[in-house]
Amino acid sequence: MDKHGKLYQLKKQLPLQMFVWAGIAYLLIFHVIPMFGIIIGFKDYNITSGIKGIFTSEWVGLKYFKEFITDYKFPNLLRNTVGISVLKLIFSFPVPIMFAVMLHEMRGKKFKRVVQTCSYLPHFISWVIIAGLSFQMFSSTGVVNTALGLLPGFKEPIRFLTQENLYWGVAVFLDVWKETGWWAIVFLAAISGIGRDLYEAAEIDGAGRMQRIWNITLPCIKGTIVIVLIMTMGNLFGGGLGGSNFEQSYLLGNDVNKSASEIIQTYTFEVGLKNGRYSYATAVGLIQSMVSLILIFISNFVSKKISGAGLF
Amino acid sequence: MIKRKKRSREDWIMDSVIFILSIIVLLITIYPFYYIFILSFNEGLDASRGGIYWWPRKFTLENYQKFLNDAKWIRGFFMSLLRTVAGTLTGVLFTTLVSYGLSFRNLVGRKWYMVLVIVCMYFSGGIIPYYMVLKTLHLIDTFWVYIVPGAMNLFFVTVGMSFFDGIPPSLRESAKIDGAGELRIFSNIILPISKPFLATLALFVGVGHWNNWYDSAFFIRSKELRTLSYLMIEVINTNQETGNKTAAAFQSASTTSLSVQLTAMVISVVPIMCVYPFLQKYFVGGMMIGAVKE
Repeated sequence: MDKHGKLYQLKKQLPLQMFVWAGIAYLLIFHVIPMFGIIIGFKDYNITSGIKGIFTSEWVGLKYFKEFITDYKFPNLLRNTVGISVLKLIFSFPVPIMFAVMLHEMRGKKFKRVVQTCSYLPHFISWVIIAGLSFQMFSSTGVVNTALGLLPGFKEPIRFLTQENLYWGVAVFLDVWKETGWWAIVFLAAISGIGRDLYEAAEIDGAGRMQRIWNITLPCIKGTIVIVLIMTMGNLFGGGLGGSNFEQSYLLGNDVNKSASEIIQTYTFEVGLKNGRYSYATAVGLIQSMVSLILIFISNFVSKKISGAGLF
Repeated sequence: MIKRKKRSREDWIMDSVIFILSIIVLLITIYPFYYIFILSFNEGLDASRGGIYWWPRKFTLENYQKFLNDAKWIRGFFMSLLRTVAGTLTGVLFTTLVSYGLSFRNLVGRKWYMVLVIVCMYFSGGIIPYYMVLKTLHLIDTFWVYIVPGAMNLFFVTVGMSFFDGIPPSLRESAKIDGAGELRIFSNIILPISKPFLATLALFVGVGHWNNWYDSAFFIRSKELRTLSYLMIEVINTNQETGNKTAAAFQSASTTSLSVQLTAMVISVVPIMCVYPFLQKYFVGGMMIGAVKE
């Protein structure tokens, strides 16, 4: 047999191939088959007809897509999904960079470690706990309102979580609170890779600390910033790096703030799993997946043009 | 030792600002956890009067007794523990095996496998078709729905690939000459030197299982299979609806539904707080492999 033939190679690699095939089988079952399930978004599917019904049910074309776009809830869902996502991009993305720069500038090594270790604790805590914590902290008699009450001119407690016009702010704040320390790890590692000689040379030239941050630290980690930015953009409608939109909306949303907290993802769950409108929910979910996919390709393309680095 | 240079005025200002900022960061990160901690050791009825910020006012262990004597909470706790242990073992083993296999550059068909991995990473069919697959496989409302569908972490497959790629091939070659098979090489040579990756993966998969709530919420109907996270959502929602005072009125003892909820939260957070600082040196490195891969 040809020693360099594909078949010979395959036989030699058989144990390794089997590891991989197990993974591929898993992907086919739990990822690829659901992708084909998307066709029920274009069909009148009834759950009682089971898996077979996916193929036998009647084609209805874009009926459910049109239904969603003309639904009275659509403008509001779109506004919330885009609004919360863009606000998270504006705040949750730069804060970890600033935090990493701050940690880098800290002098006490021990204190720096304590601050850093504490800062990523929230990353490991579930949104369930964080929802419970925020109901506690932000309630009208809670710690936050009590602290605000110490300020002069503060009259009434603020209802942070039972008021629609504050939901976006709370959602973004909690996202920053949870993920800042974590993503700072990436930036801090990039900063620690910068040569000391650059800083020393700048110091001899008389550059102050702010100037050194601005002219050395930030330009040197530009590549990392761009990569993390693409990752954030790619999951823009999921809620950025932490992907927190769904969990926040589901766990912090209530009847009072619903008009500000309901997003396309939670709507898919509600009409799909709760009301059993499978075809409609699949169509709605598909719209969101498509938009996300386009965003990933655009940001990947732009990043390759600018920095030469991309995800694929 | 280099003599420290005199600090300029800018240095003084910067250092003070940084110091104050880091104290604020510490406070807003740690205080909420500290707050529920002290409340869980305070009599519930007394706590509902408010005004407790630094120490328990009426110290008690009743909230913990109540938690430990409630079959519902105990079952939820053990269900979470069981799925975390079983899920972490399967998840780590499966993810590692697949990414180890994929890390070989000369693997026949590797290009196609990678295309599939990347497509699956960035595109999904959405929740409804996924739910239907779980239903067809009879996973809905069984314990296995916690373990099987999430057994492979795609992100960590790619992280693992760059990790295993960095292992010198000579290590494998010498074992092969000694006659070891692929499985032997994997378990006796590769696994022992992969501790940083395995620790990071285990931490992530484990924390993910411990914190996961939505599979218990959407794919489980039986009460016996509910996890701690799901039970907390239920209690948090009722407490939000009824409010503090009504909840307190229903309780005969000095514990309230809220004080037990806070106790459950503390019990759920403490294991994580105990584990993650020790794995810090691993996951800081592990994060880097994933984020800055070329």
